[in-house]
Amino acid sequence: MSAKQPQPGRRKTPSGAARSQRDWRHPLRSWFGSHRDSARQALVRVRHYPFSSAMTVLVMTIALALPMGLSVLIGQVKQLGVNWQEAAQISVYLADDVSAEKQQSLTEQIRQLAGVAQAQLLDKDLALAEFQQHAGMGDALLQLDYNPLPSVIVVTPLSIDGGASALEPLRDRLVAIDGVEQVQIDLLWVERLAAILAMFERFAGGLGVLLIIALLLVMANTIRLAIESRREEILVIKLVGGTDAFVRRPFLYIGVLYGLLAGVLAWVLLALGLAWLNVTVERVAALYQSEFALFGMPFTDGLALVFGSMVLGLAGAWLAVGQHVRAIEPQ
Amino acid sequence: MIRFEQVSKRYPNGHQGLDNLSFHIRTGEMVFITGHSGAGKSTLLKLIMCMERPSSGAVHVGGQNLRDLGSDDIPYLRRQIGVVFQNHQLLFDRTVFDNVALPLIINGTPADEVGRRVRAALDKVGLLSKENSYPIALSGGEQQRVGIARAVVHKPALLLADEPTGNLDPELSAEIMALFEDFNRVGVTVIIASHDLPLIARLHHRTLTLDQGRLLADGES
Ligand SMILES: Nc1ncnc2c1ncn2[C@@H]1O[C@H](COP(=O)(O)OP(=O)(O)O)[C@@H](O)[C@H]1O
Ligand SMILES: [Mg+2]
Repeated sequence: MSAKQPQPGRRKTPSGAARSQRDWRHPLRSWFGSHRDSARQALVRVRHYPFSSAMTVLVMTIALALPMGLSVLIGQVKQLGVNWQEAAQISVYLADDVSAEKQQSLTEQIRQLAGVAQAQLLDKDLALAEFQQHAGMGDALLQLDYNPLPSVIVVTPLSIDGGASALEPLRDRLVAIDGVEQVQIDLLWVERLAAILAMFERFAGGLGVLLIIALLLVMANTIRLAIESRREEILVIKLVGGTDAFVRRPFLYIGVLYGLLAGVLAWVLLALGLAWLNVTVERVAALYQSEFALFGMPFTDGLALVFGSMVLGLAGAWLAVGQHVRAIEPQ
Repeated sequence: MIRFEQVSKRYPNGHQGLDNLSFHIRTGEMVFITGHSGAGKSTLLKLIMCMERPSSGAVHVGGQNLRDLGSDDIPYLRRQIGVVFQNHQLLFDRTVFDNVALPLIINGTPADEVGRRVRAALDKVGLLSKENSYPIALSGGEQQRVGIARAVVHKPALLLADEPTGNLDPELSAEIMALFEDFNRVGVTVIIASHDLPLIARLHHRTLTLDQGRLLADGES
């Protein structure tokens, strides 16, 4: 066979003169060149339809920002919840006639009990002082000429995972101690908070799944339209020997590009939104004598958001491209 | 270079594109395919391009039976063929340069070589000065020549043209045919489907005449 003859060929046979010349002499160079070209094509196409591109990006942004914002908020409230868990205490009220030394030894004894993280004695004078500092109640107590408060050993349980009922054995042991008058477990509000958080977490998770599906569909539909609008071009490319992969590539880049834009935009939106929320949160917290404040959008979460968004963009584009590019064949 | 062995093509709608067609075209030949509208000329070219598959019989191109090509192999077959088709012509949102460069971009030719080859191809068809124009600014004959430049820019050994002079006046048609003869003179195998019998008759090349998908005559016209 003469050298001029084409050797239409299977990629496996490296004898195809034209191909071997092109494919092994500068494979990497042409591979990078081709990807650079595809990326540039993607940019051109996105810029070509600024309005519909902006709409797509905005829809994606909202679909990302909603669940992400909820989950960031929940995460931050949970961090606060850790402190609350520490604050979940068992108050062990001591009888009035227990001596100061006896109070110390009882505290030590309780500290040794299983299931106790910490035990701290708050004798009646200290208790009064603390009460006076807190919550604006001191004034009323100052009116009294005696100290109505009992001495208290404040016990922090190791864990409140099982709820109040899991603390029953500990409570029984505390009540049995000589000199203990009353034991009070107040966990209800911690449990409620945990339950509410769990509910919101689940809600955010479900919302996230739905919105991610919506995002994929929006992406796939946008790319489908982009493919349709390029039908002629795809036909010509295939006619002159473009592979499906070559045709697909710019559309996949469009997906990644949309994902990047939407991710960055969602990040900015969340950062601004949290800062805006924080103004009111701080005011409310101040009223409750708390220093709680949202700590904004964590940087790593932002990066994860942008990266995830790009992956989703790519996945959505892949959904559309897989079906539609193959279907367009020159006739 | 091209061998058809008892090739029939029946379209899904029952139309008979080709009917038991056999012929052989050697490397370096220039061949016209002629016949009435609907005779099967386009079908014949599409089978060579793997745009359609034969219902029966075998098509060999460059010693390769096309039946053995999977869909992943087809692009690599097409890269070695230059085509000028009536539809699937130029992309109107790209410059003449970018249109002609397309086959080179697709096979990964380095940028510097792309520029050199595109200009050589445009020079050959006499349109070097139009490389930055958009196709819309060109006349019909010029557009056709851009299409030819795109078909030859990657130096294919085989050139197929379907009614390349379709809408052109006789003078422009003769120019286009002269271009194809030039390519044939440097060794490219050229196959042109055309029903412009007067023009074909003047050029004295081998001519396959089809009628209802069958070979009616094979010889110089
Ligand atoms: N895509 C197609 N689907 C169905 N029938 C077709 C198709 N293409 C061509 N045909 C039929 O095949 C026959 C040959 O057509 P074609 O090869 O286009 O002839 P020509 O190019 O010589 O005019 C005609 O009867 C035509 O109707
Ligand atoms: Mg035809």
